[in-house]
Amino acid sequence: MTLLWLRFAVLLYGVAALAVLPAALYDRPRWRLLAVPATISGALFHFVSLAETLNAAHHRLPVETHEVQSLLALILALSFLLVYARYRSVSIGIFVLPMAFMLAMLAAFRPGEETFSAPIRTGWIFLHIVLLLAAYAALVVSLLASLLYLIQERRLKSKAGSHRWLPPLDTPLETIDQIALKALLFGLPCMTAGLLIGSVIAALSAGAKYFSDPKILLTFVLWLAYIAMIFIRRASGLRGRRAVYLSSFVVLVVLFVWAANQFSAVHRFPTP
Amino acid sequence: MSQSQRLTIVKPASEAAAQCTREGSLVLVGVNHTTAPLEVRERLAIAATRLPDAIRSLAHQPGIREALILSTCNRVEFITIQDHTQDRIHESATPTLLRFLHEYFAIPEATVEPHLYEFREREAVRHLFRVASSLDSMVVGEPQILGQVKESYSVAREVGAVSTTLEPLLQRAFSVAKRVRSETQIGSSSVSIASVAVDLARKIFGSLQGKTVLLVGAGKMSELAARHLIQQGATSILVANRTQEKAALIAGQIADQISVQIASDPAAIGCTTEVIPFDQLQAQAGRADIVITSTGAEGHIFTRAHGQQFLSQRRNRPMFFIDIAVPRDVDPKMNQVEGCFVYDIDDLQQVAAAHLADRSRESAAAEDIVASEVEKYHQHLQLLEAVPAIVALQQSAEAMRQAELARSAKRLAGLTAEQQAAVDALTRSLTAKLLHPQIVDLRKKSE
Repeated sequence: MTLLWLRFAVLLYGVAALAVLPAALYDRPRWRLLAVPATISGALFHFVSLAETLNAAHHRLPVETHEVQSLLALILALSFLLVYARYRSVSIGIFVLPMAFMLAMLAAFRPGEETFSAPIRTGWIFLHIVLLLAAYAALVVSLLASLLYLIQERRLKSKAGSHRWLPPLDTPLETIDQIALKALLFGLPCMTAGLLIGSVIAALSAGAKYFSDPKILLTFVLWLAYIAMIFIRRASGLRGRRAVYLSSFVVLVVLFVWAANQFSAVHRFPTP
Repeated sequence: MSQSQRLTIVKPASEAAAQCTREGSLVLVGVNHTTAPLEVRERLAIAATRLPDAIRSLAHQPGIREALILSTCNRVEFITIQDHTQDRIHESATPTLLRFLHEYFAIPEATVEPHLYEFREREAVRHLFRVASSLDSMVVGEPQILGQVKESYSVAREVGAVSTTLEPLLQRAFSVAKRVRSETQIGSSSVSIASVAVDLARKIFGSLQGKTVLLVGAGKMSELAARHLIQQGATSILVANRTQEKAALIAGQIADQISVQIASDPAAIGCTTEVIPFDQLQAQAGRADIVITSTGAEGHIFTRAHGQQFLSQRRNRPMFFIDIAVPRDVDPKMNQVEGCFVYDIDDLQQVAAAHLADRSRESAAAEDIVASEVEKYHQHLQLLEAVPAIVALQQSAEAMRQAELARSAKRLAGLTAEQQAAVDALTRSLTAKLLHPQIVDLRKKSE
């Protein structure tokens, strides 16, 4: 039963981790109405689970690894709620909630435990792959749109003189910029959800050691880069040349992640 | 309109007779911006309120069956269907219309006659198609002319001045104009400075809905550009001038324009104007998405450093500077700032000239379409000419067939219903085959 409460908490943290993205990064404050209650509910289930676990183990201090992981996850969730209560800001949740999710998940699932049936597990893996590929595709679309922006900008600046060789574009600059940004905004939740699902599957199959693999670590670096890119673009209105550099950098990280599949011990493509 | 086209065109009798419509002769007489000076055109111009009366009067002239008058700022044309008696075919229609002009406008014939052109039949059809397709306009490809032709047609129809001949001709002219617009790029690019500026703004911002425009200095062209931008959805107009009173005056004029526009376009309701003190210009210009400058300042009002400052204030949202002033108000180096787009009067004129050249290239394709449509229309008319003879021939043959069947009725009475049907089909087929060479011959003769 204690694990069931904890798994409820993991689910709610996952929902909160996704809902906090539009609330903090996309100027969609209404999403906090989902993120905050989901975190509160998750923390309640989490607390009950932890209390029951400690009570059942007949000790008051967390001494087992999974107990420490669980407590740390709860503290992180509470810190997010505390910051929100004090400053009405959910920005910190972009990082804190996925961490709380990961730690609580490691405590909630034991490696080798048969939680999902084989077809359901295959379905989740499929979803994980589709979401991550959608995120990569969104990134490529964003990079291409940024390049088109550059072309259109050059054309408009060159007036009737040089640069006539550049292909004519009917799409206005601001529309191209919106395409580039919207593609990123679409890609981030896909990547976050894909990573969360992948993490649960990995925790069930390999446990904590899965997350020390370079390929997996690189994927989390990519996620951080994705967030950083959206944050920079929104905060400074980055466009044109600099936007192309930034997108190119993140696409480069994607290529590293892709290449890392060949060297990873736990997550690699089968050889044909 | 070339000099050669201005000459009166009177076809040889046989050719003209062959091209006359079944209902009468098509005659188009008029003046336009290439044949008549403004003084003549303005004396002939007919206000929209007087147009129904003028068309009615023309239609009531002796020998005129149908009539339409096209009156715009660049042309006044009288399109008529006249009775075609054999002796009239040799005559020019101009005297009839000159008389009408003299009576209706009280203009001496000698004043108008040197500037008039006259087209008949095929050439008149071609001219009408060219006019509707905006190939004969002062600015080739301008879209207003088609609406003006439609308006004239609508008035002529209301007063009952167009019917069996002009009606299908005008409908065909509209479809030709539509085809020219859809199959060529003749009207796709702007050629006036103000509309080029608006086009460029749309290339940068897409929709201009909610955009802010800053007007620095006074000038007809900048006010015109501002008006175009408001029509496209710009909702906030800032005005700055060295003289505060002048700025307030311009803002007031724009506000008046907006209130007039609200009547036809409710989207203009949220549009506001605001006067900015000139000494705060650089501090406040960053609020504007589009800046139109036309001051008489000796040096640059906006420098590259200002551009960087504006972009920083605007979090890199693009800014479009339309510099109509001479000497220039905006340092050309500002165009090097990422996100700043600076177009001076020469740049705008170059774009307009390039668009005009594009239109000229497209007009060749449009002329081909018009030529092929004139040919199609001509063939259609000729077919119509042959139809009565063909129908008469078919009716006569059918009557003979029926008579022969009736004569043999007694002898065929013994046949079954099926056999009778076979005989009927056999005679019908035989008649059709016998008639076929004659019908083909009639059609050929009419072509």
